Amino acid sequence: MSIPDRNLECGHSLEELSTYLDTGDIPDPHHLAECPDCQAALASLRNLKVLGTEFLGEEIAAAGKGTDDWMQAILDNLRLEVRPGRTIPLRPEHPGDTLSETEGAITALVRAVGDSIPGIAVGKCRLRGDVTVPGAPVTVEVQLAVLYGHPMLGRADELREHLAAALARHTELNVAAIDLAVSDVLQPRPATPPTPEEPQP
Amino acid sequence: MPHGLELVPDAILAGRASDGDTAAFEALARRYGPQMRACARRITGSYADADDVVQESLMQAWKQLDTLRDNGAVKGWLLRITGSRSIDHLRRRKVHPELDAEHEAAADGARNHNNPESAAVNGSRVAALKAALARLPEEQRRCWVLKEFGDQSYEEIASALNISSDSVRGRLARARVTLAREMEEWR
Repeated sequence: MSIPDRNLECGHSLEELSTYLDTGDIPDPHHLAECPDCQAALASLRNLKVLGTEFLGEEIAAAGKGTDDWMQAILDNLRLEVRPGRTIPLRPEHPGDTLSETEGAITALVRAVGDSIPGIAVGKCRLRGDVTVPGAPVTVEVQLAVLYGHPMLGRADELREHLAAALARHTELNVAAIDLAVSDVLQPRPATPPTPEEPQP
Repeated sequence: MPHGLELVPDAILAGRASDGDTAAFEALARRYGPQMRACARRITGSYADADDVVQESLMQAWKQLDTLRDNGAVKGWLLRITGSRSIDHLRRRKVHPELDAEHEAAADGARNHNNPESAAVNGSRVAALKAALARLPEEQRRCWVLKEFGDQSYEEIASALNISSDSVRGRLARARVTLAREMEEWR
């Protein structure tokens, strides 16, 4: 038996070793490196950790896939309410009318424009500036991932052009700048079949 | 995203979801739903309860997405919500003793050595671990599941269980020692 109940013969506690496993911190690292009791107990705890990971893998597989009926039922029950964000006034053609669009509609437009360009995925979009005041300068910030193999600068320029055109056509925002931040390069889809955790489109 | 949502990293999906993109949120839910369900089931004892927990957790996540500082950390955040919700679910059940008795019976079944899931029948090390886990005291088992399935820090587990971080450290160590010993005996 390499693992006693509470304390090792060398005087160190198993709680210290358990914490070390999670944090990498231990009061006496030199002792740990040289003590056969500590090393044996640590090896035993590490074996358990590996087995726990295997257990988790089996449990996730047993829980099913993200494309299964149980997941669909949960998603159907959620009925996610929309997030309109701020209200952006529009100039009415007839005096007395009140027209507006929502911030959420504009970020949806930004995503739609991004999704129409191959090789990129648009993430978070922020409208910096007081969009509730007509004509106030607004900076559009867009987070972006580019698929590996696509020219980053070319795709960014293309997106900027398309966004400028779409925002001019569909909104009355005074767009001062469109700032793009590429946060990821996406690896192409692997040739092997996806693992069970990876949902199918 | 013409190349398919499954390729898109968490941070991008979480960023879109926090802007109100329900499709991106659903892609995240499908990506991590199975692990959330597995974690909730180990704590609550059944898939039926786990599905309630996953649904509540996703609802909470959708409402609180704008509080997520690091969109790339969305997986840990979802599991943290799932862990807390699972514990809340158990606390609510305590108010209904007849339901609790039902679940205790189910849990006893899991501890029964004649259970088809038990090591004697299945013969795998994982099955032996599962049986050993079922025999642990409840608070130790919860700490272990929140740590190993939910990948939570001591502080996060402490907050979910409403105990101190030192208690988490101690219970987790005792759980691991018991499990490690049982696994050595099994071998």
